Amino acid sequence: MTFLIPCPSCGPREATEFSFGGESTRRPPPDAPAADLARYLYVRTNASGPQTEWWYHRDGCRRWFLAVRDTVTNEVERTFWPGAGPGTEPGVGEAASG
Amino acid sequence: MSGPRLPERSGEAIRRGHAVTFRLDRRTLTAVEGDTIGSAMAAGGIRITGRSFKYHRPRGLLCMTGHCPNCLVTVDGVPNVRACTTPVREGMRVRRQNAWGSVERDLLGLIDLFSFMLPPGFYYKIGHRPRWAWPLVEPIIRRIAGVGRAPRSEEHRRRDRINLHPDVLVVGGGPAGLAAAAEAARAGARTVLLEEAVAPGGHLLAVQRVEAPGERIDGLPGTEAAESLAHEAREAGAEILLASPAFGVFEGPLVAAAGGEALYRIRARRLIFATGADEQPAVFPNNDLPGVMLAEAVDRLVSLYRVRPGRRAVVLTGSGRGYRTATALLDAGASVMVADLRADPSGREVEEARAAGVRIVPGTTIRRAEGRRGVRIAVVGPVAGGEERRLACDLLVVAGARAPSTNLLAQAGAELSFDERAQAFLPLVLPPWMHAAGEVAGAPSLPAILAQGRLAGLEAAASVGRADDVEADRLEELRGLAAALGDPVVLPPEASTGGGKQFACLCMDVTHKELKASVAEGFDSMELLKRYTTITMGPCQGKACQLPSQRLCARATGGSFPETRPTTARPPWTPVPLGVLASDARTPRRETSIHDRHADAGAEFMWAGDWRRPHHYADPLEEARAVHEGVGVIDVSTLGKFRVKGPQAAELLERLYPNRFADQKVGRIRYGAMLNDEGVILDDGAVCRLAEDEFLVTATTGNAGAVDRWMSWWLADWALDARVLNVSAAYAAVNLAGPKAREVMAALTEMDVSAEGLPYLAVARGDVAGVPAIVLRIGFVGELGYEIHVPSSAGEQVWGAILEAGEPLGIRPFGLEAQRILRLEKQHILVGQDTDAESDPYEAGLGWMVKLDKPDFLGRRALLEASRAEPRERLVGLVLEGREVPPEGSAIVHEGRWVGRVTSSRRSAASGKVIGMGWVPGPLAVEGGSVRVHVDGGEIRASVTMGPIYDPDGSRLRS
Repeated sequence: MTFLIPCPSCGPREATEFSFGGESTRRPPPDAPAADLARYLYVRTNASGPQTEWWYHRDGCRRWFLAVRDTVTNEVERTFWPGAGPGTEPGVGEAASG
Repeated sequence: MSGPRLPERSGEAIRRGHAVTFRLDRRTLTAVEGDTIGSAMAAGGIRITGRSFKYHRPRGLLCMTGHCPNCLVTVDGVPNVRACTTPVREGMRVRRQNAWGSVERDLLGLIDLFSFMLPPGFYYKIGHRPRWAWPLVEPIIRRIAGVGRAPRSEEHRRRDRINLHPDVLVVGGGPAGLAAAAEAARAGARTVLLEEAVAPGGHLLAVQRVEAPGERIDGLPGTEAAESLAHEAREAGAEILLASPAFGVFEGPLVAAAGGEALYRIRARRLIFATGADEQPAVFPNNDLPGVMLAEAVDRLVSLYRVRPGRRAVVLTGSGRGYRTATALLDAGASVMVADLRADPSGREVEEARAAGVRIVPGTTIRRAEGRRGVRIAVVGPVAGGEERRLACDLLVVAGARAPSTNLLAQAGAELSFDERAQAFLPLVLPPWMHAAGEVAGAPSLPAILAQGRLAGLEAAASVGRADDVEADRLEELRGLAAALGDPVVLPPEASTGGGKQFACLCMDVTHKELKASVAEGFDSMELLKRYTTITMGPCQGKACQLPSQRLCARATGGSFPETRPTTARPPWTPVPLGVLASDARTPRRETSIHDRHADAGAEFMWAGDWRRPHHYADPLEEARAVHEGVGVIDVSTLGKFRVKGPQAAELLERLYPNRFADQKVGRIRYGAMLNDEGVILDDGAVCRLAEDEFLVTATTGNAGAVDRWMSWWLADWALDARVLNVSAAYAAVNLAGPKAREVMAALTEMDVSAEGLPYLAVARGDVAGVPAIVLRIGFVGELGYEIHVPSSAGEQVWGAILEAGEPLGIRPFGLEAQRILRLEKQHILVGQDTDAESDPYEAGLGWMVKLDKPDFLGRRALLEASRAEPRERLVGLVLEGREVPPEGSAIVHEGRWVGRVTSSRRSAASGKVIGMGWVPGPLAVEGGSVRVHVDGGEIRASVTMGPIYDPDGSRLRS
């Protein structure tokens, strides 16, 4: 697995400099049914194509950001800070996977 | 007649008069600067360069380009070095490989006579019945077969990993590659060129006089022409990396190359492949004898190293190519006969050779070679069949069958198609970011090769936004030259008839007959043959066998050559030392600022994550007892330390931990365990409130990095007004513990460290030993204790001051082992040791800290479920009978059934008893419950404890 990821602070860097945080998921609210929790914890879309996911620039700025990556070609369409992209408005109850 | 070394001539690569002496097996060879080990052997009259992989047949120089397996030698202990391309060095020790006894008279050569016992796939066929035989047979096979010996020494040279991001990467430094690099760089593209050899030029190097009308290099000797092209490329700004073969193209595309001391990872916007072509052997009986050589090798020996490889030569060719070599050999004083596959040879090169005195026999092929340790007889006969003739010779040259080096292009996604005229697979459909130029793209002559290179360079530069002002006239002229067609290629017959082994694959000793047998066994495609016979899988990776193996496969399967596609191209295309691949495997080794003091004190160190930490200084039990009875000190600088600051710092911690922090008073400490949303414990540590809006949070040594990542992830997602600053390395920390710890503190600071001034679970700032510090009053090891955090730069100073102040009280430094014992006596869990990926706080006995009435925190939803049921398992304390300490991981049994496991076990310093922690089913988790621990050879009785074994009411802790 080698491709470039444009880190929003550092610019394009080798994927090996980053840690993968999995696809962006929606953390259920505190009073959600158990089934929602199970889905959030264990079920993934596993998209074949563009997917919004978390990346951490471990060997760089050590910041988390979101990337839209095509899981087939590994092309990273764009990267952005949480809150700056569609469907990722920050706030309680809307969060990354554990 | 003189020896093999020929008189001086312009263009030679050697420096006469500069002698280089080295050892070859048991003798001493004298060469000159510029020689390779291979050319030095040839100049010394040595024909056998090694023994073959399986049959131990003698082998000699074949390609002189580093592309065949015949001359792999061991140099100064490094196995499988290519003698033909490795320059000689004064004093080097060279050993020829794969022989039992001497290479000249290898005793294992007898295997050749018993080859009928070693059919293809023999590894699967012999020695397997009876079953006990294989363990005896396998080591013998392994010892006899194989290439070279891995060095035994553990010395490992650190290699670098170098990432490059040029606009244009040119792979191959022959004429096409050099021309491409020059044009691309001149147009303004940042250009890098990879060349495998130590000198640029490729096949141009061995050309006696360059013919490239209109080019500056026309009429020059090959070496000077190559230098001129390289100079042109460098002047234009291209970076040329020599001795750095590209060995793989990966996703990206990422090109990997093995420099001598570095792994290059190159990501270019455009790739130009100018990888050339490899001359291919012909298949006839004994085609592997020393003295059977490819024309390229003869040209290089004669032109570069001025060595005459034989006196009586027979040249097999189907094109003008062989005549160039024949003329060169004639010039060198050899007698030469050309066996031309064509019935009616014509062309300028033929006429020049004829005029010079070369004998030409048209319509002729080689039927077989004869000889034992070198070729002595060439048996030739008409291609169409007919009477054969025996010719005495000591050199048999095979010329003109060339296979384009398309492997890397295919790896990169090029589609290969068969070209009838060239009788070769050419890369005709390329991805848009890729160009092919020169012989690999089918260019038949030097002018076409150069034109293709220049065009590729210009096109690549233009496609990355450079070179927009190329004159149309020049482009048209280049396109015209690049499109030149060569003469149709005539290949020798796929194989000959008659006795003797006809080798298709020299690396793995696979013969024509074996290929036929394998096809008969059902392995009837190129991919299957490859897997079954290992053909094309040896060190040459198909460079010296691609054409023969494809054609023989076609013949054996009844297919045609064009239908028999090459096998899937995979990295590595060139053998790569494992050390180069391991270049990026770095194991950091971290030491605390106090490390040298520990070493001075005689500490035994152990790995703790990336850290080196003292395991003990003396007897760990005595160290632990000193903490119980007097005072001890341990370096805990390796703890993760985080400053969490901001208006919403408390809110962040409230969400990250199940504990409550909102009502935590400034100056107070709370123990906290971090959970994930499954309710599983990730880590634990102290959370100290330094100010309304600021906390100091500690994490365990091993999880410091993960906790950093975890906290910043959630902070990024929740976007709270708070900051997390990792100060793990910025602070040194020591834990001072024991009943006399307060006395030591009092001697070091003016802070109020009394039980009232700094009570249990209080935190304060002040100077300790003259250094600004944060002091945590926590029960890390179960006694009165102070954890002192100071800037790392002052760690050593504070450590020294503590030891000095504590000396009258008998202070002792203690290591991780004593810490384990002390914490186990208090039943403090070690996350990851006593807990695992399923442990929630209720099960681990930490239910007291979970505040389910908080609106939300990570793990709350899962714990809500867990809180409604009794835990299935509980983490409990164990006190064992007897003196034996069971290994951690031992099974806990109850009524004859396995019910749990021991996670920690030590001998207690306080009581002398064997104590531990372990998981047992809920019903057994009662104070005083009885279980048994299974150990090797028996069971140990143990009683369950549900609280600390030492100081159960915590009075010592709070004192």
